[in-house]
Amino acid sequence: MHGVEALVHPLVAEELKRKEKQVLFVWLDGGMSQLESWDPKPNTQFGGPYRAISTSVPGIHVSELLPRTAKQMHHLAVLRSVSTQDNSHSAGVPRVLRGDPKNRGVVYPFLGSAVAKLLGPCDSGLPPYVWIKPGGGGFKAEHAGFLGAKYGALAFGDGKPPENLVLHPSISAEENEARNELRQKLNARYANGRRHENVDANSHVFDVADKLMARIDLFDDTAISPRDVERYGTHPLGRHLLLGRRMIEAGVRFVQVTSYHWDSHGDHFNACESLIPQFDQPFAALIEDLAERGMLDNMLVIAMSEFGRTPKINSHCGRDHWPEAWSVAMAGCGLRRGIVVGKTNDEGTFVDDQAHDIGHLFHTWFRALGLQESQMEYHNNGQPLPVAHEDCSAVQELLA
Amino acid sequence: MSVRSRLFPSPALMMNVRRAISALAVLFVSLCTYAAEPLHRRIDGLIDAKATGFQAAPPADDAEFVRRLYLDLAGRIPAANEARSFLGDASHDKREKLIDQLLGSTEFPRHMAELFHVVLMERRGEHAEWQRFLQESFAANKPWDQLSREILAPDASNVSTRGSAFFLTKRLEAYGQNPVDHPGLTRDVGRMFLGRDLQCAQCHDDLFVDDYKQLDFQGLHVVYSNLSIRGIEKFPAIEEKPASKKLAFVSVFDPTRRETGPRVPSGNELELADEPPKGPTPTQLLARELTSPENQLFSHNIANRLWSMMMGRGIVEPVDRHHKENPPSHPELLDLLAAELVEHGFDTKWMMRELALTQTYQRSSRLPDGQSPPGPELFLVACEKRLTAEQLLLSVLQATGGVARASEPPTDELRKRFLAAFAAEPRETEDRPSATVKGALFLLNDDRLLKLLAPRGENLAGRLAKCSDPTALSDELYVSVLSRMPTDAERQEVAAFLLGRGENRDAALRDLVWALVSSSEFGVNH
Repeated sequence: MHGVEALVHPLVAEELKRKEKQVLFVWLDGGMSQLESWDPKPNTQFGGPYRAISTSVPGIHVSELLPRTAKQMHHLAVLRSVSTQDNSHSAGVPRVLRGDPKNRGVVYPFLGSAVAKLLGPCDSGLPPYVWIKPGGGGFKAEHAGFLGAKYGALAFGDGKPPENLVLHPSISAEENEARNELRQKLNARYANGRRHENVDANSHVFDVADKLMARIDLFDDTAISPRDVERYGTHPLGRHLLLGRRMIEAGVRFVQVTSYHWDSHGDHFNACESLIPQFDQPFAALIEDLAERGMLDNMLVIAMSEFGRTPKINSHCGRDHWPEAWSVAMAGCGLRRGIVVGKTNDEGTFVDDQAHDIGHLFHTWFRALGLQESQMEYHNNGQPLPVAHEDCSAVQELLA
Repeated sequence: MSVRSRLFPSPALMMNVRRAISALAVLFVSLCTYAAEPLHRRIDGLIDAKATGFQAAPPADDAEFVRRLYLDLAGRIPAANEARSFLGDASHDKREKLIDQLLGSTEFPRHMAELFHVVLMERRGEHAEWQRFLQESFAANKPWDQLSREILAPDASNVSTRGSAFFLTKRLEAYGQNPVDHPGLTRDVGRMFLGRDLQCAQCHDDLFVDDYKQLDFQGLHVVYSNLSIRGIEKFPAIEEKPASKKLAFVSVFDPTRRETGPRVPSGNELELADEPPKGPTPTQLLARELTSPENQLFSHNIANRLWSMMMGRGIVEPVDRHHKENPPSHPELLDLLAAELVEHGFDTKWMMRELALTQTYQRSSRLPDGQSPPGPELFLVACEKRLTAEQLLLSVLQATGGVARASEPPTDELRKRFLAAFAAEPRETEDRPSATVKGALFLLNDDRLLKLLAPRGENLAGRLAKCSDPTALSDELYVSVLSRMPTDAERQEVAAFLLGRGENRDAALRDLVWALVSSSEFGVNH
């Protein structure tokens, strides 16, 4: 999908492709139920009303609420032995998104900021960390923790562009080019004979702004094929995942797509019947598209929440927060395909055997993205900080 | 004197002792100034002494100087007529005259209050009483030690200074879903008043900085962990739990239980009052000790910060990392500045004047020809400073507005937009503002900003529109925005740009002004 690929030698193109690892991170805020999705326990005490269905991989079953995703199972890697430390939203969300590292008195970056720092922007020059979410947008510096504001998220609220991204209506494209050309001439003259850092930093942010403005088409819904609209759906998560795919194709390093209201403490099963298809439809379309385009070889797709939901069904016919035993679905580079790793006990209450914390997942993802041992450390004012919890390690069974 | 009376002298006695000391100090200083060179010469001597092997940049020309000085002392670029009158002035002492003129203007305390507001609050928020406290303090040229004491031990009964508590109360609020960050408050006291970021020393002696001990953190924390917001007041006010106990702590690496009372880092433990209602509170006790002329951490910190504000880089850099492994670039210079500040009763305005008078301050930011450039820590070439959000706002208004100094303060809405585009995020340090994509998009497309640039009445583009002489047009453009005359090549460039844009002259003028305002030369104090 990069214009340059057509012009360069296939081997070089391969090399370019290999280098440009990307991440699409789907965050189902509030907690998707593992029992109604990746780890069904039909006909058991806590199993609920839904059946399990077979998938494109013989022997692997998922909930009947994921019929389309079931057909993409041969691309997926599901970890059913996730067990994390926090059962509150307020603390659990940032804790999981930061990989729950050992407390060293510093605020760790969210996954998107971490990848932005560790892998940098792609050759496209677009900002490395983009967040597509319902509600408002803007620049979210607080995600970056000690890495500093520049590694924060550029958020597209409801998929809309950030403030001031659209070229002002009073300025034509030619005028914009002319004024920028003059600005660059002035800068070159100013830099001549001075230290270059200031002009370089200034030019860089204008270049990024320019690249973003040039891709205003990404926010033009009329450019989307009717077939894609139908396949992804017109609901927010559908539109946002489709935008996410287009951001990835445009060369954004890390795209997070967030969907809210997964916290079904009451009337859980009806909620699932409405919510899970909203995920199933666009997620299956996304995986299918990425696989078809050969993009799964270079990118990591992750779908998860801050925790799972209780096997025990409460008196409001709901499921509460359950960090003890839940599932995360992944696909893409560095991972095996069409597998399930880990298992919960028969009633789905706890993990059987080896449990995996978010730290294990961070190690797994960083390995899958090709990070070397030497890159597994940040330096913060001279303080070395491991990028993921040092007591955890990658889940080997997931790695290709 | 007994230990107790040494620790708790009566206020009246303190006052007398202080008066006597300051009278002696004045006498001493006036005797010395007879003999010694003025401070700014001694500063230059110490900078020169370290310059071995490197050539310094030539002195800044008048245009560089006038722009720099206005930005540093008035927080804005000079108006077109101010720049023209300085450039046209042939007198030899015009630089010194301008320094004194700006230091005497009402813009200087406003600018200092803005600077210190950003340093101390790091964009956590604003409060009218706090802003008024800073503004009045700098207008009265309040000594830094007094100002610091009023911040660190606020007096709720003093209507004119009680806004100072905002430094503490804003940090005693829970933000978002985070609980009240008492260790963060302790850390900021260390960073901002002592130049030491003791964050790592909260849980153990700093592993990388030998000088930062857990005891240093805990000695401050015993006081600040006892504070909360006095909720019933409309103004910022703190509640202090009576503390007569020491604070117990253990290191994460060593389970031995240790304890401390209030203590300034590297100082002696202060004795808490047995009966809390009598005598000073722990905050008062600590604030007095922390700001004492004997506390070198305190005097070095403010000397370094004032230097950094003027020179674009600290003698110790970063300014909150004073320790042995991060030594000052010029140790004798830092000692000298700190000692002189103490001698002059922590007079910040006097120090700014001396700094502005140095050759070091008045050098060009152009690298000297034909040699590898000297490191910025040698201060042989002026360090460039990106304009703060406040400087940008006032400077854009000045550049795009009328010929004379803008008399109206900017509207709240415009100020909000500039801060949103250029200020750092809350709790981020802004000692060295950085370029951001957000800021670039603002300059490129913000409706309110672009309206300032387009021709309207007697604003810059409006004046240019009426200008039929191409040379006069370029000159007015350059002197208004960049505070200098254009070169011939630049005059030709302006003419060519307008010619190339054909009939839509208004849009062409707008874009000309835009290109200058968006350039590094404008966005940087050089």
